[in-house]
Amino acid sequence: MEAMRVIIFSWEYPPRVVGRLAEYVSALSTQLVKNKVETNVVTYHEFLTGATKEANGVNTFRVSNPVRTHIGVLTWVLTLNQEVERVAANIYFSSHKQIDLIDVYDWHFVPAAATLKAALDIPFVYSVESIEDQRSPAANTPYSMAIKSIEWLGFYEAKKVNVKTEAMRDDIIRVYQVPMEKIVVVNPNANSWTKELLSLYNSVSGGLKNR
Amino acid sequence: MKCELSVMMLSWEFPPRVIGGISPHVFFLSKSLAQNGVKVYVVTCDFPGAPAHEVIDGVEVYRVDSYKTPSPDFATWVYLMNLNMQKEAANLAKKLPNGVDVFHAHDWLVATSGIGLKHVFRKPLLVTMHSTEVGRRDGIHTSAEKMIGETEAWLTYEAWKIICCSDYMVSHVRWAFGLPADKLAMVPNGVNPYVYTALAKEDLTAFRRRWALPEEKIVLFVGRLVYEKGIHVLVNAVSKVLEKVNAKFIIVGSGYMKEQLLTIVRSMKMEHKVLFAGFADDATLLRLQKCADVSVVPSLFEPFGIVALEAMAARSPVVVSDTGGLSEIVDHDWSGVKVYPNNPESLAWGIVKILTDDKYKDYLVENAYRKILDKYDWDRIAQRTRKIYEDVLGEYSKSFWA
Repeated sequence: MEAMRVIIFSWEYPPRVVGRLAEYVSALSTQLVKNKVETNVVTYHEFLTGATKEANGVNTFRVSNPVRTHIGVLTWVLTLNQEVERVAANIYFSSHKQIDLIDVYDWHFVPAAATLKAALDIPFVYSVESIEDQRSPAANTPYSMAIKSIEWLGFYEAKKVNVKTEAMRDDIIRVYQVPMEKIVVVNPNANSWTKELLSLYNSVSGGLKNR
Repeated sequence: MKCELSVMMLSWEFPPRVIGGISPHVFFLSKSLAQNGVKVYVVTCDFPGAPAHEVIDGVEVYRVDSYKTPSPDFATWVYLMNLNMQKEAANLAKKLPNGVDVFHAHDWLVATSGIGLKHVFRKPLLVTMHSTEVGRRDGIHTSAEKMIGETEAWLTYEAWKIICCSDYMVSHVRWAFGLPADKLAMVPNGVNPYVYTALAKEDLTAFRRRWALPEEKIVLFVGRLVYEKGIHVLVNAVSKVLEKVNAKFIIVGSGYMKEQLLTIVRSMKMEHKVLFAGFADDATLLRLQKCADVSVVPSLFEPFGIVALEAMAARSPVVVSDTGGLSEIVDHDWSGVKVYPNNPESLAWGIVKILTDDKYKDYLVENAYRKILDKYDWDRIAQRTRKIYEDVLGEYSKSFWA
């Protein structure tokens, strides 16, 4: 039987560790590989660019930003997305156009996920670590509003939203009015973590028979 | 007939949204391509009152949400607008029965859209470089300018072919981004003289009286009021011209230098001789160009200089600074007068020379009109552009993407 094939977008992944996300995505990818899911992680690194098969069996693809000078996080993120699209499209075309889903972590690569969905019909899960409203409460600066608009796009275009706690789910419903059925709470500390995540992935891809 | 070639044009402006020269360029190029058997889809920014989708002479125009929430700054807005443009263009391209053969981007303002679409659809990307940041700003001075310059470099790197509208721009773009010669192609910009001939029978005496006294000659400037357009050079030439000829200076366009220029005009007590008309609609602009006794293009940096071509098509004599694309459009003492860039004395000399010698003026106007019919015809430009698309698709068909 052919294995499920997923692409994970995360702006941090070891050895680039900014917050807790890097370790989490690493642990998650390792679990996925153990469960026979072909796992491709697309991430950013300043200079360690290119494709690598890691010891844990995860395929990593690291891109850097072709535009070296920036005036803010937004311009940096929005130009980096094209490199993410390029690499994801390369994985798609070299895998017989069969990608079951993209799992995108936080807002940074939501633009790429939305375009890939529009162009190539790849569904995506939007996995949320935190939202702008929690990081900068009540901020309505143009900068914060732009990030919120990208988060909104993620919630709108995603087939499912993945959060770790019910508190996060309730915050997302409060700020973005996302329907409750769209949000799936998967507790990473529970024993059933991997199983629940795989069932979420299956519900998004429609299972292998839909290929 | 063999399978129709289809191209998706990406442009941040398209009529009725007109900010600079890209809008009319994409408009006429798309229409002429459609007449030459190319299926054209234009994806552009929305505009109040303009429909989200319309068909203009066979050209399919799609206007997408251009991100209207306040942005931190202009460059950030450009990238945010592109996020949406790329997504909408992808949605559209996927639904087209025969897909898109070529993506054609115009300037860095749609760079990220074009680059992403190229990779997700694996189709060739062409770009027309109408201008460069290093040229517009006369050097790179800030982080924002550096970022834009690097975005342009990236766009030209990703493009299969780069089209420039003048030989000057070809060499400038090669120099700015270190590109191989065979990546560039020159196709001039065009002009449509029929919009002016349609006005030939109209009596413009009453229209003219709204702008100037009958004894005043009209000196016309059309362009954005920004440094690169050299409008300050014209303002500094005003008194030098008025020493010799009674004239009215009409300045059409707006831009960040407006207040500064107004202050200079007030300090010279020349408010009655210099009229800042702001942005003009098409009907007004065409008539003004026909009424102008001389049209002035004093740019310091000018990749092409479409406004000089328009004046030539309107049979208005032109004075241009001898720089960039203007140097190629105008032949001194034959189809216009060329003056030293950034030199008010030289500019005043050129204006006075035309305004004081009617025979000389008629001679320039006739030669200029013949030149635009001969060299800057949109139909021929569309055929050359189509040939570039076909050549690129021929190369593409041998690549592993095909």
